[in-house]
Amino acid sequence: MSYSSLPEDVLEHVFSFVQSDKDRNVISLVCKSWYEIERWCRRRIFVGNCYAVSPRMAIRRFPEVRSVELKGKPHFADFNLVPEGWGGYVYPWIRAMAGGYPWLEELKLKRMVVTDESLELIAKSLKNFKVLVLSSCEGFSTHGLAAIAADCKNLKELDLWESDVEDPSGNWLSKFPDTCTSLVSLNIACLGSEVSFSALERLVVRCPNLRTLRLNRAVPLEKLAHLLRQAPQLVELGTGTYSADLRPDIFSNLAGAFSGCKELKSLSGFWDVVPAYLPAVYSVCSGLTTLNLSYATIQSPDLIKLVSQCPKLQCLWVLDYIEDSGLEALAATCKDLRELRVFPSEPFGDEPNVSLTEQGLVLVSEGCPKLESVLYFCRRMSNDALVTIAKNRPSMIRFRLCIIDPQTPDYLTLEPLDVGFGAIVQHCKDLRRLSLSGLLTDRVFEYIGTYAKKLEMLSVAFAGESDLGLHHVLSGCDSLRKLEIMDCPFGDKALLANAAKLETMRSLWMSSCSVSFEACKLLGQKMPRLNVEVIDESGPPDSRPELPVKKLYIYRTVTGRRIDMPGFVWNVGEDSALRLS
Amino acid sequence: MELQLGLALPNHNNPSAGNGVGFKSRKDAANKRSFQEAFGNYKIRDELQMMPLLLWSGPPDEEDDDRKGQKKRNSCNNINKNEEEGEELVVGWPPIQSWRKKLLLHGQHPQQGQVGRRVSKFVKVKMEGVGIARKINLSLYNSFETLANSLIHMFATYQKSEKRGVRYTLTYQDKEGDWLIAGDVPWQTFIESVQRLEILRCGAVESRP
Repeated sequence: MSYSSLPEDVLEHVFSFVQSDKDRNVISLVCKSWYEIERWCRRRIFVGNCYAVSPRMAIRRFPEVRSVELKGKPHFADFNLVPEGWGGYVYPWIRAMAGGYPWLEELKLKRMVVTDESLELIAKSLKNFKVLVLSSCEGFSTHGLAAIAADCKNLKELDLWESDVEDPSGNWLSKFPDTCTSLVSLNIACLGSEVSFSALERLVVRCPNLRTLRLNRAVPLEKLAHLLRQAPQLVELGTGTYSADLRPDIFSNLAGAFSGCKELKSLSGFWDVVPAYLPAVYSVCSGLTTLNLSYATIQSPDLIKLVSQCPKLQCLWVLDYIEDSGLEALAATCKDLRELRVFPSEPFGDEPNVSLTEQGLVLVSEGCPKLESVLYFCRRMSNDALVTIAKNRPSMIRFRLCIIDPQTPDYLTLEPLDVGFGAIVQHCKDLRRLSLSGLLTDRVFEYIGTYAKKLEMLSVAFAGESDLGLHHVLSGCDSLRKLEIMDCPFGDKALLANAAKLETMRSLWMSSCSVSFEACKLLGQKMPRLNVEVIDESGPPDSRPELPVKKLYIYRTVTGRRIDMPGFVWNVGEDSALRLS
Repeated sequence: MELQLGLALPNHNNPSAGNGVGFKSRKDAANKRSFQEAFGNYKIRDELQMMPLLLWSGPPDEEDDDRKGQKKRNSCNNINKNEEEGEELVVGWPPIQSWRKKLLLHGQHPQQGQVGRRVSKFVKVKMEGVGIARKINLSLYNSFETLANSLIHMFATYQKSEKRGVRYTLTYQDKEGDWLIAGDVPWQTFIESVQRLEILRCGAVESRP
């Protein structure tokens, strides 16, 4: 009996152990019957670009899905490069899923426009809805949240990670019925206004499985101890504001409450930190694996004291107040560190306000053998430092360096940083994500094209000299999925020469480069499975064809042009004249 | 290389690009970046080539003493006129999420209500002889003592080779631009008028204009 004649339910059982999308996609290509079996038992789908496929197509192919993850706007929308109204609306998906996936349990959205109407539709139509994650989303208010709270009887997770929520008056939190005891995770850190503390407390008390609680800034420190005593089982906590008048009774109450939380592994929040209150968390430090201090405007000595007590730390997000000295302490203490993100406290100043340089990162790369993910804002860098980092940590997977001043050269030699980044891609063979900065010529792109064979996402700004740079990347990076470029002298030649490559990628963003409207049109006409969208808020791009296109977003799709383009987005495919307005 | 003394930006590549963008009228324009150079002409940042851009139009600003030189940009297409962007002059750079930027600039959550919350007041603190200035949030303190203690702590690292017994005075610049000694007026009055702080060695106080 050959494997292809195994009964369907056996195959289905075997497939159920295969969770990865990539592997499932491969399975579905083996033969027609495997394709059929696989599509009926796929339970979760990830759509990295909501415009790549239509909801109807997704539902038709995978009828029994329980979990959907969608992403909308391009990544550079985080930095204000995508105008308001560009798109990324989730409503069409929700409408389709209300009918097509009535048993949907999970919905995870990133950079999408969600409306109260969408949330109300979810609450009304999806009877087994359990998990809602809205990451960097916008367009909805607490009215929509109230609907979710009131009607999703089995809600386990509500996560509003970094979303922009309108907050008209009305107490949505108290809409969770008394019968709701299923919450496992609640993240309201991004909410601007106060929530009713008593409603919050009652909710916490009646949900014994609550593991994650991320409060918003409005929750005062004095009340935190109270909450913690009701939920000592918490594994992840985001504090509210971490400041209060200095009173010993508040401190001892808080310290006592923290010491009762034996399971805490992750801490975040810490807005407005008053250093005197930091020791209240010391009792949990020995077990902490994740620490997000990226809102905490405290100075290096206090940060060092805290971090030195966290030997199990795996992930640290912090402001550059930590300085090189703090990173040295981190490297000495936290041997399990995997991820470090250092954010700038004063990104718009002309001069450094803190003593954080490339040295800090070098020290961490030396001292932390498991370091694999870095996001680092600084003001100076050298090729030497980059080469050292590369040699220290060949297992690096994500390396995002932002030298704050564009085109900053190696501060020691005044050379471009090509060699340094070249070393990164050469030594770190599993590198999946890279963000460049500093002074860079086409050379760095040659290195990237030659060595970065596993690279999936590349972010570039103010770099390169000619189309050759772009050509190196498009022709050499075999695994490239997302490429985003701003303010680089890349033009038509590389783009047109590598048109076919674009169909193997999720998307390409280019803004303030040198791509002509003609080239965009040509590309759109040549490649029917790409949407070539020009974004121009000042008027139709073909009215000034001599000017380079301001913003360009190209993505592969199986559904053709989208019908929800606003007035400032032009799809320059074949029938651009017939565009619906 | 041109020095721009007007409000329009040079744009070598696109003479007709007139987006009408220019510096905001805010005082930041007086001391921030000047935009020049097209792609690739300008490789090395050389102090000699850069001169301060003199666009004094408003009251002195925190940054005016520290201004070193110009920064260059490849493209002038992205100058953002939006006041809300704070000090950002190139859209999308540095790559920081908008809510995080607002948090840094205003010390507040963008949607924050003000009920029962302190309003952050960030001021720059300089210590005589120390190259790097600091910024602190004065709303976290409630007396000169707590402030002084915190500052001592903060700048302690810079006193490595200082002789013991050197005394310092905390001075501040008020709304009128005058430099005064901290502690002479009640804390509340101080908080309302302080614009920046400077820690001077005793003996240096007299020489302040």
